[in-house]
Amino acid sequence: MLLSNLDIKGDRDDILKYIRSHILPHNQLKEVRTHQELIDEVYFGGCGLYIDGLDAAFAADVKDLPGRSVERPNNELVIRGPQEGFTENLRANTGLIRKRLMDQNLIAENIIIGNRSKTPCSIMYIKDIANETLVNEVKRRLKNIDVDYIMDTGELEQFIEDNPALPAPQMLATERPDRVCTMLAEGRVAIIMHGSPFALVVPITSNDIMYSAEDQFLRFPYSNLLRFIRILAILMSLLLPGIYLAITNYHHEMIPTDLLLAIMSAREKVPFPSVVEVFLMEISFELIREAGIRIPGPIGPTLGIIGALILGQAAVEANIVSPILIIVVAVTGLGSFAIPNFSAGFAFRILRFAFIMLAALSGFLGITVGLILIGLWMVSAKSFGVPYFAPIAPRTSGGFTDAIFKSPAWKQEKRPDYINAKQQKMQPRISRKWALANENNQAGGDNTGDQNG
Amino acid sequence: MKTTKPAVITRVIKMDRGKRLIAIIMLVAICPLLASCYDAREVDDLGFVIAMGLDRGKTNTLRMTLQIAKPMAGADGGSGGDDLPYEQFSVEAPAVFSGLNMINTFASKQISLTHLKVVVFSSELAREGLKPYLNAMLRGKEFRPNMPIVVARHTAEEYLQSVDPKLVTNAAKYYELVFQSYKYTGLIPKVEFHDFYLASKSPCRNPVAILGDAGRFLSAEEFDIKNSTYMDHHRSTPFEGDFFAGDIPALGGARAENVGLAVFEGDKMVGELDGTNTTMYLLCTGDYIHSYWTFPDPLAEGRYVLMDVKQSRKPKHRVEFVDGKPRIDIMLNLEGDLVAVQSDIDYETGDNSLVLESAAEDYIKDHVQKFLDKTINEFQSDICGFGAYARAHFMTWAEWEAYNWHTKYKDATFNLTVNFKVRRPGLILRSGTSEAMESRRDDQ
Repeated sequence: MLLSNLDIKGDRDDILKYIRSHILPHNQLKEVRTHQELIDEVYFGGCGLYIDGLDAAFAADVKDLPGRSVERPNNELVIRGPQEGFTENLRANTGLIRKRLMDQNLIAENIIIGNRSKTPCSIMYIKDIANETLVNEVKRRLKNIDVDYIMDTGELEQFIEDNPALPAPQMLATERPDRVCTMLAEGRVAIIMHGSPFALVVPITSNDIMYSAEDQFLRFPYSNLLRFIRILAILMSLLLPGIYLAITNYHHEMIPTDLLLAIMSAREKVPFPSVVEVFLMEISFELIREAGIRIPGPIGPTLGIIGALILGQAAVEANIVSPILIIVVAVTGLGSFAIPNFSAGFAFRILRFAFIMLAALSGFLGITVGLILIGLWMVSAKSFGVPYFAPIAPRTSGGFTDAIFKSPAWKQEKRPDYINAKQQKMQPRISRKWALANENNQAGGDNTGDQNG
Repeated sequence: MKTTKPAVITRVIKMDRGKRLIAIIMLVAICPLLASCYDAREVDDLGFVIAMGLDRGKTNTLRMTLQIAKPMAGADGGSGGDDLPYEQFSVEAPAVFSGLNMINTFASKQISLTHLKVVVFSSELAREGLKPYLNAMLRGKEFRPNMPIVVARHTAEEYLQSVDPKLVTNAAKYYELVFQSYKYTGLIPKVEFHDFYLASKSPCRNPVAILGDAGRFLSAEEFDIKNSTYMDHHRSTPFEGDFFAGDIPALGGARAENVGLAVFEGDKMVGELDGTNTTMYLLCTGDYIHSYWTFPDPLAEGRYVLMDVKQSRKPKHRVEFVDGKPRIDIMLNLEGDLVAVQSDIDYETGDNSLVLESAAEDYIKDHVQKFLDKTINEFQSDICGFGAYARAHFMTWAEWEAYNWHTKYKDATFNLTVNFKVRRPGLILRSGTSEAMESRRDDQ
């Protein structure tokens, strides 16, 4: 008998407890009393264990549900930097963060969302950096969601955002653990949800949507070049078709005469007003974009041919649109692809059509009015209590050196002012201690001493 | 009563979301009603005038000539051939804008002046006074303030007709470039319309305009120099600037020539200056940039030294009143790079360079002096704007206006200083003796 040589002190229950705590070291172990219960567990991928002489059985949770392993991020690609992305598994995701941020103060609080779906979520923050009010606000919003099922952070985002109508995203959805870690270290809060490979980070401001994860890892002149290009890309994707319309319809005196004559001869044979032309091309471009995402993989390449040949060349040769407009639309498209944030890209695509309308109605006056209205809207918006245009309006310290453009890593001494972190300083004024001339730093000290003497 | 006001304000702020949204939608909806593409014009629905010429008309006050650009011929692979890149229209009308109306009756496209590159007046019109036309050009919002003003020595129509740009496919480009040539030839003045207008009204200065005309010569057999001013400059052959527009013995390119300037007094033209004097004018105003100069060789009779002369600093002006008459001090700072020494004399080093510098200083001084004397004796017109320096001596504007600079300018005397330095010898660093050349060859 298996149990005969055990030193059994009490009655049958004690044997059960003893086996459970001493012999079966599995932590997901369940004690079942009926056959049906055990059969259900086995059906669901568990392991049943009968022990002779006991009127109970054990159901061990040994199931390994199929899921993706850690792979490269699909959407936020970088050349320099880590190449790991989140998966659909909550524990794997928190693990990816803990792997990078071995800070004893890193807290992961579990919370269940969805009355029926019971989706497990994790709120992550660094206890002695993140502002308590912010953490409490995140918890308050998450706890007060009354919904049956919730599947993805994309849904969750809509339940907890401040301004549902604002075109720009008010929280950062990222699939990169390194990015989440950087932002946690600044005092922000991350929300991770089981089943979603995207983590949400709050709060963000308008600047964060034009950063890429790579900015952090590149030397500062390089990332500043990239940021400058991205600002340009945003302006182009938002305004270029509008400005083209405004200039060709209202402000002819603004174009160099040569270009004017070129536009004139290109438009000579086109039967539509330029607004119709722009709308035609913009809508076809959006069609290509949408079709490109939905098209099954093997037929994908044909789409490029359709886009390039039919829309580009044939439309011009059939005199439906002018070639200059193709350039405008193409550059606008490129600009919108260069925006690093997926949601922000949508925002600018929608607003672009508004600007086309405004420009067609009243030229630069319309564009100016549009910019003012959108500016007012954005400036009045908030993301978890932080003004959306924070480092610029309201102006806080380091608005231009750290927010719009980036200073070298050793000069980023403070956490963003608007986050109100518990510790404002990230590093002392002199973080490159080796550059100091003192005893602890023999070689450097001697040299500089000699030079000064 | 006082308490009601803030209450109203808070109520506006507390306007609920839906109402605010409706308000925004209504505002946006009003936009098209207010604006409604009312002044939108497609580019290809407009005819862009690139040049305008004004002459005295046969049947009416004005004969207006417009050059309207054709959509760029080069865009379809340059199949334009020998066609002119513009279409010329003429009409006789009482005024500029009535002329535009009349041209719109037979030109298929609506005329737009937003890309007007130049306005040409005939000298006949300019001598009668340009005031009525300047006013229209200033008020009309389509005229560009920076376009040059040209006075054609014969008719503006003929001048415009002779513009057949050979080096560019686009006439607008031709006008943009050709009136910038003061920067590297110094043979035409720098004229912008807004400045011309201000000068025509100013109590301190008088305006000038570019002098232009269609070239006289159609073949090389006809060449003559009887209209050249080289005799006035005491030379045996004409130098590059000793011509008025239209008299240069030249063929090819556009027949239209721009050399010299038209002197105005107020809005009336009073005379012409040739290219050489125009260079002196640019030196005195400080608009001079650089150009090639031909200096007589100080050490070899009949040979020339050519230099690229630059303005090293802006000229310094100062006006003093001596016995109630203005004395104008002008200091010119110039430098030259040798580009050709026909006599092969070593002007690069030593005393020779000093000889060359002082000879050049005298030469320039002599020419500037003659130019300034001319403005006093022939025209009594302060085209260089010395009045701006004279008015510093007056406490109030009323005093200055009462002084009436324009009538006093003819009594002015000049005190000229020219600083000239030879800076660079070009690629020949040293013109050596024949021996030196041989020894260098042995070294190799």
